[in-house]
Amino acid sequence: MVEYGEEKKLRGTVPSFALIVFYAFSAVLLCAALGVILVRNTVHAALLLVLAFVASAGVWMLLFAEFLAIVLVLVYVGAVMVLFLFVLMMLDANLESLRSGRGRFLSAAVALLVAAQIAAALNRDSFLQLPRFEAPAEAAGDNTRLLGSVVYTEYAYPFELAAVLLLVAMVAAVALSLRRRKDVKYTDPAVQMRASPAGRVRLVDMPSEKPPQTATVETNKTTEKRKGEKQ
Amino acid sequence: MGGAGFQVGYAGAEMFVFLAACAVLLGDLFLPAERRGAVLHWGAIGACVLTAGIAWTGFGGGGFDGEPAIALNGFFVSSPFTALMKTAVMLSVGGSLLFSRRYLEGAGMLCGEYYALALTSSLGMLVMVSAAHLLPLYIGLELMSLSLYALIALDRDNLRASESAIKYFVLGALASGLFLYGASIIYGATGELGIAEIAARIISGGGEARAALGLGLVFMLAGVAFKIGAAPFHMWLPDVYQGAPAPVTLFIAAAPKIAAMVMMLRVLVEALGVLESDWRPMLIILAVASLAVGNITAIVQTNIKRMLAYSAIAHSGFIVLGVLAGDDAGVAAAVFYVIAYALMTVGGFGAVALLAGEGKERAELSDIKGLAANNGVAAAVLMVLMFSMAGIPPVVGFAAKLSVLQAVLAAGLPWLAVVAVLLSVVGAFYYLRVVKLMYFDLPEKGAVALPVLPRGAQASLAAVGALVLLLGIFPGKLLAACETAARLL
Amino acid sequence: MSAAPGLSHFLILAAALFVIGVAGIFVNRRNILVILMSVELMLLAVNMNFVAFSRFLNDIHGQVFVFFILTVAAAESAIGLAILVVAFRGRRSINIEDWKNLRG
Repeated sequence: MVEYGEEKKLRGTVPSFALIVFYAFSAVLLCAALGVILVRNTVHAALLLVLAFVASAGVWMLLFAEFLAIVLVLVYVGAVMVLFLFVLMMLDANLESLRSGRGRFLSAAVALLVAAQIAAALNRDSFLQLPRFEAPAEAAGDNTRLLGSVVYTEYAYPFELAAVLLLVAMVAAVALSLRRRKDVKYTDPAVQMRASPAGRVRLVDMPSEKPPQTATVETNKTTEKRKGEKQ
Repeated sequence: MGGAGFQVGYAGAEMFVFLAACAVLLGDLFLPAERRGAVLHWGAIGACVLTAGIAWTGFGGGGFDGEPAIALNGFFVSSPFTALMKTAVMLSVGGSLLFSRRYLEGAGMLCGEYYALALTSSLGMLVMVSAAHLLPLYIGLELMSLSLYALIALDRDNLRASESAIKYFVLGALASGLFLYGASIIYGATGELGIAEIAARIISGGGEARAALGLGLVFMLAGVAFKIGAAPFHMWLPDVYQGAPAPVTLFIAAAPKIAAMVMMLRVLVEALGVLESDWRPMLIILAVASLAVGNITAIVQTNIKRMLAYSAIAHSGFIVLGVLAGDDAGVAAAVFYVIAYALMTVGGFGAVALLAGEGKERAELSDIKGLAANNGVAAAVLMVLMFSMAGIPPVVGFAAKLSVLQAVLAAGLPWLAVVAVLLSVVGAFYYLRVVKLMYFDLPEKGAVALPVLPRGAQASLAAVGALVLLLGIFPGKLLAACETAARLL
Repeated sequence: MSAAPGLSHFLILAAALFVIGVAGIFVNRRNILVILMSVELMLLAVNMNFVAFSRFLNDIHGQVFVFFILTVAAAESAIGLAILVVAFRGRRSINIEDWKNLRG
């Protein structure tokens, strides 16, 4: 781990409040993340993932990324993780029996390899002491306003692309999971569009028997049948 | 919107294909059921061809001066290279759709969502091709991939298909995760996210943060190698190709390869071109591993789709060979190769999708024994394609392999060219075996003969075969276009 | 003034998170839902990197990138879960070991 010159000088002094908060959130985050991949109960794993998201939102607060931290909690925990839990409950799979057996050795090897690579690269040159990293500005002002001022102007193109992506997700999710059930009636928009007054209402000319009753309105067959089923 | 440097006009192809996707979604709702299939099918193909035409206007002329132009606030680049690649992407998509209708109708998959997702997927590819910034590169990649995952799983009663969709999804998500981690490191090391800006910053920064740049490079390369299907990141490919419904396999195999190659060029040659001495050894490993795994493993396959999947791995090895040469000649060779590959794949998997017929897949090698007797045209086209994939003159595969090998020799790596040639000779065996099965073997006793293809299908297959022959005999025009494109990324 | 967490703190935290995420994909080769969660962990690590660099470079663009990664990741998990539901309907199991149609 690379030490800052400043940090070495201050070693032995009281750690700042920010540092204590950082370590607290990091500890929670890493424990929760380890829990996600190691616990046997999938519901517990999902809840631990929620905890991991909340903890990293705390860490992001320390980095003055207030908007993203809140979005992470509101959108990620509030929507995406709830979706996970929904699917988890809906599938009702035999969760307890899923134990990981094989692959531990392999995964440990892969993880160590990746970790060693990252550590070596971060350590090797003076990357972390580049002059531009040394003076982060104090609180960057209104973080949300700053984001908003670029997202809708400079980033208009990626923003539109993200919108298309969400449309794709919607279409795909509906196309994949919508099952036409046989016992429920659906409307077919194509048939609805082609409906014309002529096909719906038939005016029947009947010889009038009594003055107030001049014509009877008949509905077509399908609506009658539908009515019959409802009753 | 608007403002200096926005210039929406450059993104005409993207906008058109998106509108087409929306039109397909709406048309699916409002068209009468009896005409829906035909209208959607020909409408989507027409949209692909039109988009290809719009994209082609960017290749010099047509109001564009032919020089690379940056638009949309620096996120978008339009150049002869993007024009050529977009045209190739859209024509491959159109060809893939052309061969898929028969199967889709048989399997009950012919629905608006299929065509809409195919079009949004090609929108993602176009965005990737024109990305001048890591953000649209990433979003385009995801737009392409998410649509593909959904396409595979769309055949909902097909257990194999949903299984391979899951496999593709998990490994694809892993790949994008790796790519993004690399991107974040590059961002930290350079402070930039635009591709040209990253390159400029690395040059102006001298040797600073070299190790961090190398780390970012490794992760990004791993992600890209996953997408292009180069060994050792190829594990998903045979399973996904075999498990997906035949028309979707055809779709995945052709156009996304072009987009993945562009991504590789943008990241390695353009953004991190200065680090060539770092990435060249890695690409050599990727190329040799892909050629070896692809060509040798394909020999023992009994399923045509799986065999062609391993052949695709070998082909991506050749594409990587072109990229690693790094100079204009290498890029031109890679571009030529990927276009030839897409054409051969559309024909090859197209024939498989047609023969697989109405929803019941007949894709074992034993199924095509004696194919020449009852399906003369299909057998002849498949023979031309197999010759092309094996690299036997005078078909296009030979010209493509030749240009890649020339680029590798010019880059001063003769041993690599020798290895590539030797492994291709090994690969020629299984391509020729297909020809032998079709022409010299008799159908197995009791086997149901493959259905005779309708006239229209035969004609379109024959057109692809003719194109493969024609481009093989007269590659000059296409090669010249590829060289122009390579000069003007 | 006392020591505040520096860039290296955040990078090492993100690296650890990323490694856990990658390991999770290989450890839980049998439970797809947990694999999807591991992918989320990986993306969280990537986002942590971007936010940290964004802060220490004084550059808002890193945060905008995170904004888009969050959007994409949400779409990705929606599609992933939809595919999972389709696959599960056919088979009543999310254990990959039960899925033996494909080799490899």
